[in-house]
Amino acid sequence: MSDCDHDGCITCGDVAIEMTVVRLDGDLAVCEAADGDVRTVEVGLLDGVDEGDRVLVHADVALVRQ
Amino acid sequence: MKFVDEFRDAELGRVLAGKILATVEPGRHYKVMEVCGGHTHSIYKYGIDDLLPENVELVHGPGCPVCVIPMGRVDDGIAIAHQDGVIFTCFGDMMRVPGSNGTLLEAKAAGADVRMVYSPLDALRIARENPDRQVVFFAIGFETTAPSTALTLKRAKAEGITNFSCVCNHVTIVPPLRALLESPDLRLDGFIGPGHVCTVVGARPLAFIPADYHRPVVISGFEPLDILQSIEMILRQLAEGRCEVENQYKRVVPAEGNLKALEVMAEVFELRPHFEWRGLGFISQSALRLSNAYAGFDAEQRFAVPGVRVADPKACQCGEVLKGVIKPWECKVFGTACTPEHAIGTCMVSPEGACAAYYNYGRFARERVVS
Repeated sequence: MSDCDHDGCITCGDVAIEMTVVRLDGDLAVCEAADGDVRTVEVGLLDGVDEGDRVLVHADVALVRQ
Repeated sequence: MKFVDEFRDAELGRVLAGKILATVEPGRHYKVMEVCGGHTHSIYKYGIDDLLPENVELVHGPGCPVCVIPMGRVDDGIAIAHQDGVIFTCFGDMMRVPGSNGTLLEAKAAGADVRMVYSPLDALRIARENPDRQVVFFAIGFETTAPSTALTLKRAKAEGITNFSCVCNHVTIVPPLRALLESPDLRLDGFIGPGHVCTVVGARPLAFIPADYHRPVVISGFEPLDILQSIEMILRQLAEGRCEVENQYKRVVPAEGNLKALEVMAEVFELRPHFEWRGLGFISQSALRLSNAYAGFDAEQRFAVPGVRVADPKACQCGEVLKGVIKPWECKVFGTACTPEHAIGTCMVSPEGACAAYYNYGRFARERVVS
């Protein structure tokens, strides 16, 4: 994924991406965005994240469960 | 797409524009600052300013972290990148930010091993894969991004990774807002608050704006209807003589923020006594450095850096743009010597920068014809 192929600059600014948790591995989770992009994401900042949850991700960290 | 399509509905946009028109007081000029670069980008991408009455002016704030990084910090990064055995990692748009003697991209062309990463975790992965190299991450961003750096450093420490370090340029949003409110250059009527920063810090840190400066704040999402509704909420507060922090972005921003993120940031970072902001000068306690417990990961201690303050190019007026004193097209070099392809100023580098947003969406052409 390049830095600026979404609506805004996702690398350094304040744009976060909504993703779905596909698979959990401790505090890490494989997450998929609506455009099919798949990333390994830190989910340790959220309690009780489960597969299928939708989370808001910024720089590979899930900040909010939606 | 959920949370996106329904916030781009043109008919609802026209309804909100009508409400805004009905709320403003004729003859009064309103200046509303969107703090976040993401908002600036959306405003010009979707032409939101075209839907506003002429007496409602949007002023672009300092919330693009690339735009506020001073040239001296870029020089420090380039100096590290050129050291033997270093793999220097940074976000993509950081690579094009000019220092006093070129960019990280030019350093890469000159032989330095500079790599673009999407997150600090990517940089840590490179460190694991290259145990014989020193991997440095150029950390930048507001409170939205700082948890990612903090968690990565915690992971590096737990794994005992010793070839990873970080140039910490993380900044915090409240001190520059206070500096702007204290500035005699600028009279602002209200603020569109930074939605994703508030997912981490919550609404409370912005409470000083209505409490101390009697200005309304509305924490806003990033879709066009989010921004229009936030502007309407700010204007309604003004019409009703109220000033408070309201949360338009409740579907994402919890009032208390993310307490775990704040805890991990408190463990890994501490406030710098002062930090230079491009265009705003030195602002006390406005940035983060690594705490003593993580000092071993501090690239500024591990490597020799110039650490020299460098004045901005004389032709560049990013400082005035960042303070909202002038509009991007009023800069002497906007769209001529300074373009996204050959940026002189940082505001033209990042897509979230006000100049790049104007330039990329053609807003400047109309303004120039008018002028």
